Amino acid sequence: MRIPRSLVLLLAVAALVASIGYFWRNRVDSGQNAKGGPRSGGKVVVTYRSEPGSFNRYVAPRVAEDLIARLIHATLVRVDRTTGQVEPRLAREWSTSPDGLTWVFTLEKGITFSDGVPFTAADVVFSFRALYDPAVKSALGSSLLIGGEQMKVRALDAHTVSIVLPKSYAPGISLLDALPILPEHKLRAALDAGAFADAWGVTTAVSEMAGLGPFVIKEYRPGQRLAFGRNPRFWKRDESGRVLPYLDELELQFTPEQNAEVLRLQAGEADLMTDRVRFEDLASLQDLAKQGRVTLHTAGVSIGPDMLWFNLDPAAKSAQGRAWLQHDELRHAISRAVSRTTIVNTVFLGEAVEIAGPITPGHGEWFLRDLPLPAFDPADAVRRLASIGLKDRNGDGLLDDQRGKTASFSILTPKGNSIRERSVDIIQEQVRKIGLKVDVVALDGGAVRTALGEGNYDAIYYAVEADSLDPGRHLDFWLSSRPMHFWHPSQPTPSTTWEARIDQLMTQQSTTVDHAERLRLFAEVQRLFAEHEPVVYFAAPKVIVATSARVGGVKAALFAPNVLWNAEKLFIQASADSRR
Amino acid sequence: MTRGTTGRWSRRVGAGVLATAAILAIAAPAVAPYAPNEQFDDRAYAPPTRVRIFGPEGFTRPFIHPLVLEDRLAGRYREDRSVMVPIRWFSRGRLVSTGSASVPLMLLGGDAVGRDVFSRLLFGARLSLGVTFLGVIGALGIGAMMGGLAGTMGGRVDGALMVVADFLLAVPGAYLVLVLRGVLEQVLETWQIFGLIAALFAVAGWPHTARGVRAIVASERTREYAEAARAAGAGPWRLARQLLPAARGFLAVEVLLLVPALLVAEATISYLGLGFSSAQASWGTMMQDATANGYVLARAPWLLAPAAGVFVVALATQMMGFNRTPPLPGFIRPPRPS
Amino acid sequence: MTNGLTRFVLRRFTVAILFVVVVGSAALVLVRLAPGDPTDDLFMRGADAETIAAARHRLGLDQPIGSQLARWVAGLTRLDLGESSRFGLPVAGLVADRMRNTAELAGLALLVAAIVGLPLGVVTGTRPRSVVGRIVTIVSVALVCCPPIIGTLMLLFLAASTGWLSIAPGNFVVPTLALALPLAAMLERLQSQSMAEAFAAPDIVAAAARGVPVRRLIWIHAARQALRPVLGVAGIVVATLFSGSIAVETMTSWPGLGRLMLDALLSRDLFLVAGCALAGSSLVAMGNFLADLLRASVDPRVGQPS
Repeated sequence: MRIPRSLVLLLAVAALVASIGYFWRNRVDSGQNAKGGPRSGGKVVVTYRSEPGSFNRYVAPRVAEDLIARLIHATLVRVDRTTGQVEPRLAREWSTSPDGLTWVFTLEKGITFSDGVPFTAADVVFSFRALYDPAVKSALGSSLLIGGEQMKVRALDAHTVSIVLPKSYAPGISLLDALPILPEHKLRAALDAGAFADAWGVTTAVSEMAGLGPFVIKEYRPGQRLAFGRNPRFWKRDESGRVLPYLDELELQFTPEQNAEVLRLQAGEADLMTDRVRFEDLASLQDLAKQGRVTLHTAGVSIGPDMLWFNLDPAAKSAQGRAWLQHDELRHAISRAVSRTTIVNTVFLGEAVEIAGPITPGHGEWFLRDLPLPAFDPADAVRRLASIGLKDRNGDGLLDDQRGKTASFSILTPKGNSIRERSVDIIQEQVRKIGLKVDVVALDGGAVRTALGEGNYDAIYYAVEADSLDPGRHLDFWLSSRPMHFWHPSQPTPSTTWEARIDQLMTQQSTTVDHAERLRLFAEVQRLFAEHEPVVYFAAPKVIVATSARVGGVKAALFAPNVLWNAEKLFIQASADSRR
Repeated sequence: MTRGTTGRWSRRVGAGVLATAAILAIAAPAVAPYAPNEQFDDRAYAPPTRVRIFGPEGFTRPFIHPLVLEDRLAGRYREDRSVMVPIRWFSRGRLVSTGSASVPLMLLGGDAVGRDVFSRLLFGARLSLGVTFLGVIGALGIGAMMGGLAGTMGGRVDGALMVVADFLLAVPGAYLVLVLRGVLEQVLETWQIFGLIAALFAVAGWPHTARGVRAIVASERTREYAEAARAAGAGPWRLARQLLPAARGFLAVEVLLLVPALLVAEATISYLGLGFSSAQASWGTMMQDATANGYVLARAPWLLAPAAGVFVVALATQMMGFNRTPPLPGFIRPPRPS
Repeated sequence: MTNGLTRFVLRRFTVAILFVVVVGSAALVLVRLAPGDPTDDLFMRGADAETIAAARHRLGLDQPIGSQLARWVAGLTRLDLGESSRFGLPVAGLVADRMRNTAELAGLALLVAAIVGLPLGVVTGTRPRSVVGRIVTIVSVALVCCPPIIGTLMLLFLAASTGWLSIAPGNFVVPTLALALPLAAMLERLQSQSMAEAFAAPDIVAAAARGVPVRRLIWIHAARQALRPVLGVAGIVVATLFSGSIAVETMTSWPGLGRLMLDALLSRDLFLVAGCALAGSSLVAMGNFLADLLRASVDPRVGQPS
């Protein structure tokens, strides 16, 4: 059987073309990483893992919507995430009344929205009106309440706004970093008609949306990409008076998994990823950094570490028949039975810090340095468990409760995060060594949240993104009456004395304006927390962000969006080739 | 391929491999050096331990050198040639192990958290092969019953059953199992997942068997002994039971087709997160771990052990079926041109 | 031929439509009956019972299953598949894109598998003991045991360690190869087996007696004859193809239907799951339909009154 010559020829040509194409595509850039000053122009490609469900930040609380809002809108003031300082943004200057309850902002004059309509104080008043409107039920609105009450906003004139607080608020105006100012002329009709909650969904035409931010949305292709272009009417300039943003275009390309994101960054197809680097990729990224193709930026120690908490609601079904499950000593035992060093070394490859509470060195001055870390002491753990009645009564190597039943519980954790899954595997194994049987159930994130909402779980291993260093901004976690007080949320009255005391201290801490006093009060909160350990913490990883070497002006922050919070100051290095 | 001796040889090899796999799976607690979830510090992505028999004085009893972690980030290890740790046989209820707990014998290296891949492979075989075996029994059982009934009774019952079977056959198996598993409760214990997956496999697998059994039973029904039984007043069930043994050969072949198909199915749904919990060692969850990071896979190819396991079992079943049918998953023997 | 063929085509077409609608409806009902629903997320955000009830009403979750199903089926006639609760976008648009991607992948894989597998099957069927024949058979048997999930894993490893293949998402080489190789092996084995039997067929024997040259005999007559049983299992081929595509799409980040359906299933996105089931079964039905047409053109007996 002879293969026709023509076929052989065809195959040979095809092979030749294919190999040429392959090598052409993968040619290594020899561009050196010479630092040039900012120059205008260029496009940055960002791989992003989650898609927005809406373009209306007020009703959509997820990270994707928050990122987009920071790109196309502006806030009254902005917190510099690397220094913690409050910077003027739409508000040029501000003053506080002596009693601390009134803020007066002088707004920038002569600036317009991206569609040319002038910005005035009326837009600020409108934004607050939409925020607090009962028909809108804005999640953002409920996080911008002071002591559970609304702020009162008034326009004193076309460019001055006063905000009156119901109570003293210690974190101060940094709160307003979270509130994008919306155009009244575009959304007023919807608000008046009660349809604000449905306005600016993902099918909205891009021409319908206007903002004061550095970028505007150019195109949205669901499942593929969200393209931003420069806002020609962006009013901010850099120190030398140059027009911002430096970039002409910014594109979010939706990439479903982290593996794919890393590959694209390494291949030079993307400049930036959704979030921080995974540690097993760190070695190869360091190699690429040496070759000058990638730049690694360390932002510090994470402020949103993974946490293991138990369901401490006395009425929970899970606790029926297992009184030991809600006992303090169980958590103390687990905290001492697990080697934090192993987690740091195995899961984070050494690039993490051992912690025992929600506040990490990344929180800066708020971190209580002299709080001792529970030592790795499995024998002590066994003793503590014995003190609550858990002993191996039948010689099977597993601890049993008073009635001789094997003591076991389950930990729920969301799927898809290999770091968390590995950490919880280590926790499970080390706890098994002291005789406690743990089942790890990895579920879809939504299912974990359902279980949390229904109080239908024993323990959960999860993490929440933090959005500021100031603990006064996280009362939803600290106060027992709030929904993010995970181990026993939304309590009508505090069920334990220590929670009542923490409530008291945190309320004080968030209203006192004396900074030293706030630090002192919060130190006491941390000590109380460590005494009862409602949540067990093990390690806080370093936050390392990777960008392609062609991107300059990167200031890496500890929380999302780690790089794009300062997107207007990103630029393409002068030496990089203009492939895009 | 050629018939005769080659065919017999390949059938024997196939059977031998399958038997070995089954024995290893059942005897895992004794054969595997460690428990599947046992983690060793500083052994993440450790390379397979080299067993040596050449010491400084020539041949000695088998021993290993301990591994030292050189670079944690890059995952680089080095053997400490100065220390020799002998291998122990039949100690502490395990076939082979090392004397010391800090120098683990990792025949297939370590995974992301420093667990012994070889031990996980054996324990994983229990779950994966076990659920496959159960699923095959279920599919054959239901299929034989449905097919037998359809072939015996004919008419509307036959039509109805075959419409259902054809419908289920047309839906791609993976989608079917996925949707059924996806809509069910997600918080389940391992044994519950085991039973559930086996049941789903039976549901996805019976139509193919039923079709074949039905064809055979229907043609058997025209034979004399069947007519005689009917005339003697045998009801449909009794009749079916008489006719089913004719399908024995077909069912034997079906086993060879179902085993690799269901094994792959377990790997697939566990990989997608809907099978066994990722905290359990099954061949599917191990494959999920392996692909968590693409470049790590290049550095640590021993993570592919479960894939090799599936391949070997599939190959062995193919070889067992050699010459009886061409090795094909889901293949129906083409009708001889008449 | 025309009248019988037309009736045959029409019948298959109607069956296909029915199949697609039933599968989509079954998916809708199953997800509706499943525990959990898309509003679970809201709870975490501190939404109260009223907001959740409003959201459930908006998604139609408070209607009885029957009426929701009826409304959905009615919507099918207008090609309106409802709105996704997860994305807030019309399902039809979301699904159409993904459907095309999956179809492209499956089609390309099938094409590669057929181009590689069938001719090789002819070779091994006619000369099983030649060097080429033996090598191909061994490789083929090995590849048949490499179902897509294993094959993808191996290919990913190969790509990552040698760099010859790109594993960047959206690159079609690895996914296509992963789907095509085991399929090519399967087709090769099938074709090989039926070649041996084809030579015994009376019309081939007659052609040989007529003095038709060997090469023409093999490649034109016998190959065509052998193709019929291969096409006979086309349904299973198509189903295998789509089954395999789910794992391949996930492992290689290929933006296809399987992945979308998995995500939709986990987030209990009712209409998106139904839409994906609809799309997936449409592709399967289309594949089967084309295979039937091919079989009808190759085998003149199809479509005639039995």
